[in-house]
Amino acid sequence: MAFTILDGGSFTSTGAGVKIPLPSSADYFRTWNITQLATASPTAVVGGEWFGAKFGAGASAANSGIRWKKSGSSAILIDSFSTSTASDGFTYVTSSPVVEAQAANAITAITAANPAVVSQTNTYSEGDFLRIYNTTGDLTIGGMVFQISTVSGSGYTLLGLANVTANGLAAATAGNTRRISKFAAVEPEFMYISNISQATQAVVSTTIDPTNYYSVGMKIHFSVPPSFGMKEINQLTGTIIAVNAASASGSIGAYNVTVDIDSSAFTTFAFPLTANSPTKQLFATFAPAGAQTSFNPVTLVQTGYDFSLQPFRTGQFTPYMFLAGGANSPAGANADVINWMSYKLES
Amino acid sequence: MATGITNIDNMAPELPLQFSEDLLSTPQFNLIHSFGCDLHFADAYIGKTTRMSRYERLSTDGGQLDGSGIDPAPEVVVRTDIDATTEIYAKTVVINEQVTLFENDKVLTKFTALLGQWLREKEDLLMRDLYASSVSYINAVGGGGGDQPSRISAGDVNNIERILLSNDARTMLATNEAMDKFGTAPTRDAFIALCSTDLAADLQGVTNVILKSIYPHQEGLRPEEYCSISRFRFFVSSKANKIPGASLLGNTVYTIPMFGLEAAAKVEQNGYTSILGYRPPYVVSSVGQNSQLYAKFAIARAITNQNWITGLNVTASN
Repeated sequence: MAFTILDGGSFTSTGAGVKIPLPSSADYFRTWNITQLATASPTAVVGGEWFGAKFGAGASAANSGIRWKKSGSSAILIDSFSTSTASDGFTYVTSSPVVEAQAANAITAITAANPAVVSQTNTYSEGDFLRIYNTTGDLTIGGMVFQISTVSGSGYTLLGLANVTANGLAAATAGNTRRISKFAAVEPEFMYISNISQATQAVVSTTIDPTNYYSVGMKIHFSVPPSFGMKEINQLTGTIIAVNAASASGSIGAYNVTVDIDSSAFTTFAFPLTANSPTKQLFATFAPAGAQTSFNPVTLVQTGYDFSLQPFRTGQFTPYMFLAGGANSPAGANADVINWMSYKLES
Repeated sequence: MATGITNIDNMAPELPLQFSEDLLSTPQFNLIHSFGCDLHFADAYIGKTTRMSRYERLSTDGGQLDGSGIDPAPEVVVRTDIDATTEIYAKTVVINEQVTLFENDKVLTKFTALLGQWLREKEDLLMRDLYASSVSYINAVGGGGGDQPSRISAGDVNNIERILLSNDARTMLATNEAMDKFGTAPTRDAFIALCSTDLAADLQGVTNVILKSIYPHQEGLRPEEYCSISRFRFFVSSKANKIPGASLLGNTVYTIPMFGLEAAAKVEQNGYTSILGYRPPYVVSSVGQNSQLYAKFAIARAITNQNWITGLNVTASN
């Protein structure tokens, strides 16, 4: 069976995972870590191979593939990413919802703080999106998606979660996470709300950084079940007047948008108590509802219409190859130069 | 040899076997995600973004003239703009001349039909993704299973109806009037709900469900329709959206968009709605051995009114 090289390229790793869009799909995918190949005795992956479904029983499992590595010497060892000591490998994603098939990972604690800090042995990267589930002590966030920051191998911070009593939440002692795509199949996407302030211009906390998805002038439509307290804002539509302008404080997280809705007389927003799960309705969300321009005759400033964010459009392109980051994974460690090529089989 | 060419090594020979008089059916999933949306058209040469605009209604506060001669303050009219970007999708099949020369006959006709099917299926999935990504969903809580969300229940469906009615949404389907037939039940004018075939068993168990078979009239019903619950008519597809591992307990969550008139839009590019083409061998191949069929279409999609669409997250019993 003949191969055809479809595409190829090179990038310098940041140590984080990398997505390679594959418009024509792929049956075989190859990476070389040029930096580590030239290094005498590293402990690092120097290359990887992925085999698609056409290889039948020989196809690579999700988050695996053939691993070419050096282990403290110049000799190259070949095994698979899933063999001991396992490391993250290749994941070929073909459809939406765009969930990368990363293995479920156990949480050992979520602190009762703003921002919440999660203890978990992980290989995640700065800015990754995680769906948290199987929580204990914090049942009402189970199923929500969060963006993580200040990531280390033992934990990370959730800047979008004020996991405090005033917000109806408490510390968690266990849970699981699974990494998902940073973009939905279609953008702008709906977002989870983690708090709404009582103010003449309501500050709406989100679980992920909204700057990549929403801009000033865009309208958002609220869906806030009565179980979250602030039922008055449910089904209202507001216009965004600021993004990430409010500092984290109290129950407001660092990720937020400010809208032109006066919530000062609304009921306090708080998650339903964990004891009421699963009988109380979840989740509080907002969804894109178009845009409205405005012109300030004093400042002569026109706001609204960000054509990179506002129109409905494809978010996450599929298929793509997700290369896990790190010294023992295909996307390499920070500053490693990675070459890649994708191939198709003739039949 | 180039990539992805249909040739006699990967195409089963017709001879020396004889073909049955008719082809077997090519599987096709239920196409449920497009028929409930509005259709708009975009002209060529004026950009790839289509703007759909709506004037918001005026406030009904005040308005009485008290005889003082003071005019009421004018109200600034608000217009909401919904933008959608046109995108182009394509699929191609390359056929080696030896297929038709030695083995198979009329494959171009058969492959053209396949590409036509791809056009509609791809369009359906793109609309599905719109509903999955850009609409707010509420977790079901009234069903069993002990998960978050729960399985579907009548109370959850009624709650969505309340939301849509409170937002002045208009129903999409007309009443099925009662008839003097044993075992039938009328259905009210209805919004529509789109869900996975995995939920078929759970739908049958919802209180007061009316299965399609006991509607008073069967004429004109779409084969994709499954049942009526409360004020919703449910349509099912094996490709409807589901999110693996997204419930509290890590089970698959099924998202059910539920909406009325003018909640979503599909924008078709004039002259580019569905293009099927053929490239002869002398164009595709330097030695004239490979010909090519292709299909492509342009589409833009948008949620045009969030007040008139919402959705339900559920888990399944199976």
